[in-house]
Amino acid sequence: MAKKLKGEYFYLTANDLKTGSVVYYSKNNWSSDLTNAVKISRDNLAIYEQIAQNHEKECLIVSPFFVELDEGGEIRKMRDKIREKGITFKLNN
Amino acid sequence: MILQRDKVKKNPFQIIQNVDELVEMKKKSILITLDLWEAQKKLITKHKFNLGLEIASDQSLGPIKNDLHYFKLIQFKFITFKDGRPFSLAKKLRRSYNFKNEIRGSGHILPDQYIFLLRCGFDSVEIEEKNLETWLKFLEMDKGIYYQP
Amino acid sequence: MYKYTEQDKKIVKNRTKEFKFQVERRINGDLTEEEFKPLRLMNGLYLQLHAYMLRVAIPYGELSDIQLNKLAEIADKYDKGYGHFTTRQNIQFNWPKLLDVPDILSELAEVEMHAIQTSGNCIRNVSCDHLAGINSEEVEDPRPWCEIIRKWSTFHPEFSFLPRKFKIAVTGSEKDRAAIKVHDIGLKIVKKLGTIGFEVFVGGGQGRSPYVAKKINDFLEKKDLLNYLEAILSVYNELGRRDNIYKARIKILVNELGQEKIKELVDEKFEELSDKSLELNQNEINNIFNFFKLPIEKKTNSKVPIHSDKEYNHWLQQNVINHKIRGHSIVVISLKPPGKPPGDATSSQMRELSKISKDFSYGEIRVTHEQNLILPHILNSNLYELWSRLKKLGLSTPNFGLITDTICCPGLDYCALATARSIPISQKISNHFKEYSVQEKIGDLKIKISGCINACGHHHVGNIGILGLDKNGEESYQITLGGSATEKASIGQIVGPSFSTENLIPAIERILKTYEENKKKNEDFLSAFNRLGIDKFKEDLYK
Ligand code: SF4
Repeated sequence: MAKKLKGEYFYLTANDLKTGSVVYYSKNNWSSDLTNAVKISRDNLAIYEQIAQNHEKECLIVSPFFVELDEGGEIRKMRDKIREKGITFKLNN
Repeated sequence: MILQRDKVKKNPFQIIQNVDELVEMKKKSILITLDLWEAQKKLITKHKFNLGLEIASDQSLGPIKNDLHYFKLIQFKFITFKDGRPFSLAKKLRRSYNFKNEIRGSGHILPDQYIFLLRCGFDSVEIEEKNLETWLKFLEMDKGIYYQP
Repeated sequence: MYKYTEQDKKIVKNRTKEFKFQVERRINGDLTEEEFKPLRLMNGLYLQLHAYMLRVAIPYGELSDIQLNKLAEIADKYDKGYGHFTTRQNIQFNWPKLLDVPDILSELAEVEMHAIQTSGNCIRNVSCDHLAGINSEEVEDPRPWCEIIRKWSTFHPEFSFLPRKFKIAVTGSEKDRAAIKVHDIGLKIVKKLGTIGFEVFVGGGQGRSPYVAKKINDFLEKKDLLNYLEAILSVYNELGRRDNIYKARIKILVNELGQEKIKELVDEKFEELSDKSLELNQNEINNIFNFFKLPIEKKTNSKVPIHSDKEYNHWLQQNVINHKIRGHSIVVISLKPPGKPPGDATSSQMRELSKISKDFSYGEIRVTHEQNLILPHILNSNLYELWSRLKKLGLSTPNFGLITDTICCPGLDYCALATARSIPISQKISNHFKEYSVQEKIGDLKIKISGCINACGHHHVGNIGILGLDKNGEESYQITLGGSATEKASIGQIVGPSFSTENLIPAIERILKTYEENKKKNEDFLSAFNRLGIDKFKEDLYK
């Protein structure tokens, strides 16, 4: 999971197994809200990877990965930004 | 454990890895890999064994086409349940080579595949005991209504 | 239209139960994600960027009013009030919860629908010419054949764990509207010396390595269809590569072995495996054909109403096609209004369309692989009223076959595999070229947009293809020219370095200018391109 990551800080994210919604690891819990997401430093990746694996086994989440943050602490990649903010156009309805 | 349709049965076949073990195993049911068979066919056929042959999902039937009468059991070992070749191999054994003895699935297979296995000519599967109920459930859910002959 | 038999009902119902059991086992940990994934995919359930996505099968693109109404209901009850029609005549819901999916499947089963084999490494939902049975140049209606193949391929015990996905398309006409040459198997119904049979193409496909399919049989007898398909699948299941996902499609095998060799292997298998019980007899065939009788009784002299409304006349000119029965028309409902995501329909549009189809089209609706809908049997005299009702729904855009009738995959807005967005590009195009007069002047032109090399948006076969790339974190778009998915299928050629989002529309403008300046009278874009060659376009575009 932590291979080839860029930057110094990360969020841990996944999808909720039962609903599929995007969740971030936030102080002992998974939340769809980014505001309380734990900012993980590079040194601690292994610890959080373990947490992710455990929670996968406990059938809480699926497809965990680390979101890269840039120097300003913002999400770096377009994909992860869209994943966080939602689709980039107005829906038909 | 071995499941044959809805019955759990004993597995007399013991897997052997090399020919040295052959001597101790006299008159027993043994399971050998395709590689061992190809390497030691002469030696193995000297003894009176109940022979079972294990073929991995990435191997072909080519080498044993003419040897089938030796085998009481042919076991297809699934490397992963996603690799569907053994379904075709089993069907071929039954249809083209007219193999009448037991065909068994082992390795990484899912109960969700049970009906497909049976329909392709498998008789039995090697499963984990804890999953028995699930395997049986798939058998129970099957109503025998299929689109293919 | 096809109606479920008792057998169909039981099989679909059973599948619903089975899937429920699989979801339960996933939730309680009996199935790992690695194990569950292929199982859920085989039932059309993906995990996408934001959520699960459920792809529901619309076999050969045919829907009843009741089914469409149910899709609307599902969109409201379990999703966000809309659905997305795909390039393989299916519909996708973008936001279902895993726990709701078994219920959705039960509701679908009530109206004879399902999500079986809409994804996964198995034989996918069969697709078909959207004008099947209603156009006059057809040799034979391909829909019954699709149904025969649907049955045979559904839960095929031997071919449910293939090296990779497997797509079949059927057409009954010389003019190919089903893109059969970019399918794993393409079947074309032909007539030779008074007998009807099939030409068989294999190994077409798009994705990372696009290929046009090769013909391996000039004339396959009807009765042998299933045995022959089994032979192809059997060769593929045995020899298709499983070590590299990018080389696992049958197109790679066909290309590695060559047309002659693959033909030989299939013929051998056909000899070896042919099973009497798979042979189709005329009775069975007739039984299936009976489901597909035209609902229209007879020709009429029904006239198209005359009105001065400009929009109505544009629509008549662009979106209305002659039906094979005189006095009737086929109406294309464009799901590409300016600025909207191509292929999307809201629940209220679906609900209204369901009523409209009941009022005007014998309760039949079709889905095209170009992500539009069709009302297949409209009495000419109803056209004005129909248009008025469609207009109220925002579904009367007169752009069928024109530059704004883009094919577009979901791209980075939805898709977990994407490298760039595609819907916003399509929106830009449809806004930029929204005037009918502008589009009409450009003429027939297919733009197809994919958000990554997997090519779900068919960019390889777009007259203008657009592929979204990620260039150091910026979206960037590569343009290909000269692709076509018709009977003269061809893979587009890359015109040169890619364009930023800002420069893409100007680039398209420049390409159109080259066409405009060089075209002969009545020469469409593709013909002009084929005559002029890529270099001319390249020169103008990058000078
Ligand atoms: S082409 Fe790529 S981005 Fe578009 S839907 Fe397919 S996988 Fe997703």
